[in-house]
Amino acid sequence: MSTEPVDVLIVGAGASGAALAWSLAETRMSILCLEQGGWMDPAGYPGMKGHGEASQLGEFAFSPNARGRREDYPVNDGGSPIAVSMFNAVGGSTILYAAHFPRFHPSDFRARSLDGVADDWPVDYRRLEPYYDVNARMMGVSGLAGDPAYPPKEVPLPPVALGKLGETLAGGFDRLGWHWWPSDSAITTQEYEGRAPCINAGTCLSGCAQGAKASTDITYWPPAIRQGVKLETHCRVREVTVDANGMADGVVYYDAQGVERRQKAHVVVLACNGIGTPRLLLNSRSRHFPDGLANRSGLVGKNLMFHPYAMVTGIFPEPLEGYKGPTGCCIWSHEFYETDLARGFVRGYSFEMLRGFGPVSTALWGMGWGRIPSGVDHHRAYAELFDRTAGIAAICEDLPEAGNCVTLDGDLTDADGIPAPKITYRLSENSEKMLEHSVARATEVLEAAGATDVLVQSPLPFAGWHLMGTARMGTDPERSVVNEWGRCHDVKNLFIVDGSIFVTAAAVNPTNTIQALALYIADTMKKNLANLFD
Amino acid sequence: MSEGRNDRGFSKDELETLACVLDHLVPASEDGKLPGAGRVGVAAVVDEALHRMPEVRGMVAQGLSALEALAGRRSSRAFATLPRDQQAELLNELAASEHAFPPILLLHVYNGYYQQGPVLEALGLEPRPPHPLGYEMKPNDLRMLDRVRRRGRLYRDC
Repeated sequence: MSTEPVDVLIVGAGASGAALAWSLAETRMSILCLEQGGWMDPAGYPGMKGHGEASQLGEFAFSPNARGRREDYPVNDGGSPIAVSMFNAVGGSTILYAAHFPRFHPSDFRARSLDGVADDWPVDYRRLEPYYDVNARMMGVSGLAGDPAYPPKEVPLPPVALGKLGETLAGGFDRLGWHWWPSDSAITTQEYEGRAPCINAGTCLSGCAQGAKASTDITYWPPAIRQGVKLETHCRVREVTVDANGMADGVVYYDAQGVERRQKAHVVVLACNGIGTPRLLLNSRSRHFPDGLANRSGLVGKNLMFHPYAMVTGIFPEPLEGYKGPTGCCIWSHEFYETDLARGFVRGYSFEMLRGFGPVSTALWGMGWGRIPSGVDHHRAYAELFDRTAGIAAICEDLPEAGNCVTLDGDLTDADGIPAPKITYRLSENSEKMLEHSVARATEVLEAAGATDVLVQSPLPFAGWHLMGTARMGTDPERSVVNEWGRCHDVKNLFIVDGSIFVTAAAVNPTNTIQALALYIADTMKKNLANLFD
Repeated sequence: MSEGRNDRGFSKDELETLACVLDHLVPASEDGKLPGAGRVGVAAVVDEALHRMPEVRGMVAQGLSALEALAGRRSSRAFATLPRDQQAELLNELAASEHAFPPILLLHVYNGYYQQGPVLEALGLEPRPPHPLGYEMKPNDLRMLDRVRRRGRLYRDC
């Protein structure tokens, strides 16, 4: 690798880093991305070898602690009721995500004005709308226009198949008069931009060998690289360095052999997710920034938000063919999304319908629920669950609290000796009430759909998929880390584009909004190239 | 008991005992359509899975050894050669002892069992990976959304 300074250095090749790299590529600046993981080989995804379900116990586990690949870093989340999930590779966590791809609601950017909690964002839905549209085309989003839960929006591809399971659950919502709609999914349902359509294999959560699920290694990165962006893998950044004036001047990283390297840059962009970005900033201490880079507000690592999840699983008397179809994409309901204080909490939650379990997952979940014993009763108990379950995930809005945070662990390190992140997190009373409400309503709809029994997990302990808020955006340098277009208040050539900059969490999966924000920030950078650091 | 053991896995004797244990954990179904876990080769899958977990392997090996010791004291025969009801008695005795098999063993047994071709076929599934063929799903009639459309706007415009 050249030791010459690059114009733009991006750290992280996941959802946001890829989108930003693609957008900036047209400037013909020298752009380099350093990614701690490698390229994934779709032919090696578990769904090509067995059913793939068991891989979630090992090399494709959601938790980096359970997975333990060299490119992973450990996370001390032992003190949190929700464990962190992420993946490290080109594509980042989009390799393992469900590709459930909702946008935020307009009201999500106005929580303070509308509901008197948290803060308003310095951008709004209308500002991001064109970038949601670009992202829909780049990722290949399927769905159905006309959802009354949203302003009119562009959906390039027809929705994923609902199947018998989806129709059954939709019937439950209809009987109660509640909202439901086919989910927006970053999954191609027709041939699209060289990608094959979904074949309903149900292996989304361990990598899509079909290439129908939009992970950024197959969406944004190929055109970005064709336009000249350089992407170096197995390079783990230890710290962002600053010059005598306190401006970022590059990074120190370890290459695939563990050798320490230095890369100079005129602009540094962090795209390492809501855990990795504060970890890197807090580990980048200097004379100018003794408490961590860009941390004069003291807010780096603070206000960590997950989405507390409840999972409610219905057991039905008839087979549902639930092992067919995209795992986490079917239909959604936003019936309880907007604030109604009569419910006993502020803000709201969405429902995401999940497919049923495959043969292995049925056994393992059934064992976890204490419903499938070993011995003589095993087959009877298994038959009562296999292909007879349908799940509803409630995604609850988490509100920012300074006490929920990411710090550096004093003992734990990754394979290169870089301090690991430590999570301090508790569920708020508002979240507890929201979870309780969502479990009751999910139970109601499952029973209306014909379920004869219901199993509840709340909060879902491994559901720390959505990592937000730890370097939030705002116009006031005292109360935010980055400005309204992702530039750090304290370091004017340092940008952040991942979920760290979220002001609030909304009540839907964040990837679409993370990418729309990254595209918006890239566009704003392009418009301000002449005076980027003013 | 240690004959044939190598550093990477259970010995041949241990695998034989383990297969017998697995036939009790997941026995053949009464109608005979579903095989027992031991008969369908799950012991080898468990052996492979435990390569990553030497501590668990050690606990399972201790359990197998204790089981043979119980069988030897009871009848001077190997566990696998005992009648099934006597095997069940000894397994119950082991479960109440300090050498009980770790609960995680069952997880790996279920994991291995429900990936076996004969098991998948008996469940009505094709014995193949999901990729590259996938599964056919019929398109849905989305006129069922007419009721939802009639409700009008749900979001707060701001």
